[in-house]
Amino acid sequence: MIAQIWQYVLAGIAAGAIYALIAAGFVLIYQVTGMINFAQGEFAMIGAMTASALATGGMPVFEASAIAVVAASAAGALCYLLAIRPARAATGVTLIFITLGLDVALRGLGLLVWGTNPLSLPAFTGGASVNVLGGVLSPQTLWVLLTDVLVFAALYLFFRHTYAGTAVRAAVANPPIASTFGIPLRTFAFWSFVAAAAIGGLGGVVVAPITSATYDMGLTLGLAGFVAAVLGGLDSLPGALVGGFVLGIIEKLAGGLISTGWEQGVGFLILVLVLVLRPQGLLGRAVRRA
Amino acid sequence: MSAIAAATTTLEVRGVTMRFGGVVAVDDVTFSARTAEVLGVMGPNGAGKTTLFNVISGVQRPTSGEVTLGAARLTGRRVEDVAALGVTRTFQTPVMFWGLTVRESVEVALAAREFGGTYPPAPWRELVRCGFGTAGRRREDTALRERADTILAGAGIAAMADRATESLAFGEERLLELARALAASPAVLLLDEPLSGLNPDEIEAVLASIRAARASGVAVLLVEHAVGELLAVADRVVVLDHGRKIAEGTPQAVAVDPLVIDAYIGDALE
Repeated sequence: MIAQIWQYVLAGIAAGAIYALIAAGFVLIYQVTGMINFAQGEFAMIGAMTASALATGGMPVFEASAIAVVAASAAGALCYLLAIRPARAATGVTLIFITLGLDVALRGLGLLVWGTNPLSLPAFTGGASVNVLGGVLSPQTLWVLLTDVLVFAALYLFFRHTYAGTAVRAAVANPPIASTFGIPLRTFAFWSFVAAAAIGGLGGVVVAPITSATYDMGLTLGLAGFVAAVLGGLDSLPGALVGGFVLGIIEKLAGGLISTGWEQGVGFLILVLVLVLRPQGLLGRAVRRA
Repeated sequence: MSAIAAATTTLEVRGVTMRFGGVVAVDDVTFSARTAEVLGVMGPNGAGKTTLFNVISGVQRPTSGEVTLGAARLTGRRVEDVAALGVTRTFQTPVMFWGLTVRESVEVALAAREFGGTYPPAPWRELVRCGFGTAGRRREDTALRERADTILAGAGIAAMADRATESLAFGEERLLELARALAASPAVLLLDEPLSGLNPDEIEAVLASIRAARASGVAVLLVEHAVGELLAVADRVVVLDHGRKIAEGTPQAVAVDPLVIDAYIGDALE
């Protein structure tokens, strides 16, 4: 039983590693612009589908992956420039509906370009599964975990050790005052979309060998990433990391120990519980309006 | 700046009127501020001082009249564009960048000015901060950090450089807000009651910062209820009452002006 639970936990870590990347995108955009981008999961879809389609066409996996991340970033840039920026005077609810529309539109675009058949992407490296205290992790899961480490380390370095990162934090703390110091809020909003899309696209690329890629994979990933972000705290990048793993582990435990139906549903139970009991999430700050 | 830069007119407020519905908050006010001077702006509560600051900094657009800085017309520009032209202000209640340390708050203002608001602008500067870069570039980066430390020392808050802004007491927030404003190298500095709520040591620190800013050529506009301190530090004073300018002159002249005394006593009796 213990061994089985441990295997569920490992499976949860594997799933959570992806959720953390999607959640990081939610948090980045939320912090910088104050909006929730429900199209976040589609960036992962674009990454996964582009890489898989290119690899299926014969391109080496790493080249295909690099192009896929660029494609996802470009999608993020276009979303901002064509849909968000023209509506910058709109209220929060309107912007949320715009991102829901973007989500549907990008999924539709995926359907048009790649069709309904799942595409597969070869694992980055072969080799046997890794034994972790009696449980197993696939080599590709290790790639996903490595991606988490690199992405979150890069984000940490950016926010803590660069002028631009400090300026973003100032802009997050108080946009109007930050702008009076010449900190360009709109430029930051644009780059937050590009960065969130790049991270989402990278997430899609590294998970594609595990789950295979479909045009509608973004919906589930996006919802899981959103739940993970809310769970960890929408304004906290460490929260996105923690929230992703906690959600992944709870899902797999619920799916394994109760029934597989719970694996999909438990996330929404968590969402409701967090919003009622601890709206700021595990690591987020209580809302403070000065 | 030096003695060569004799005081020249920099900020001009011409015929500014601000109406809110039937209320005239500022009524046809005209005055100018010169470089390297402290211009006190006095007046009883509701005289229109803060509204005037809002008009100068671009937060509110005047009903009529205009504000210019040198050759540039400020009226009609957005707040951030007015700021970019060199007008920086502080608020009655200090506004902090929560999440940044004291030093970071000053560095971010310095860097924003230095990089001209073009983020992400200077990748090599960032690389230096992350531990890479040539010796020359490292020196440049060190210079910016040293300027930040000099500004903190000048504001009397060097000891709290590494503290989180959330942990500051009210008076410390005021000192940091002023230091941050100075880090933006303003041509015109608008200070809205910078002494209120401060202890005597903090008041001394703020007054020293104001004098230092003046010495470096900044035109300081000072709204302050502590009349004694205001008259002591100001070179000239403009007095507002019910939105109108009722006096302008040296602190000595204004202090004995019957109209001014009336306004203050009248206010006290109301």
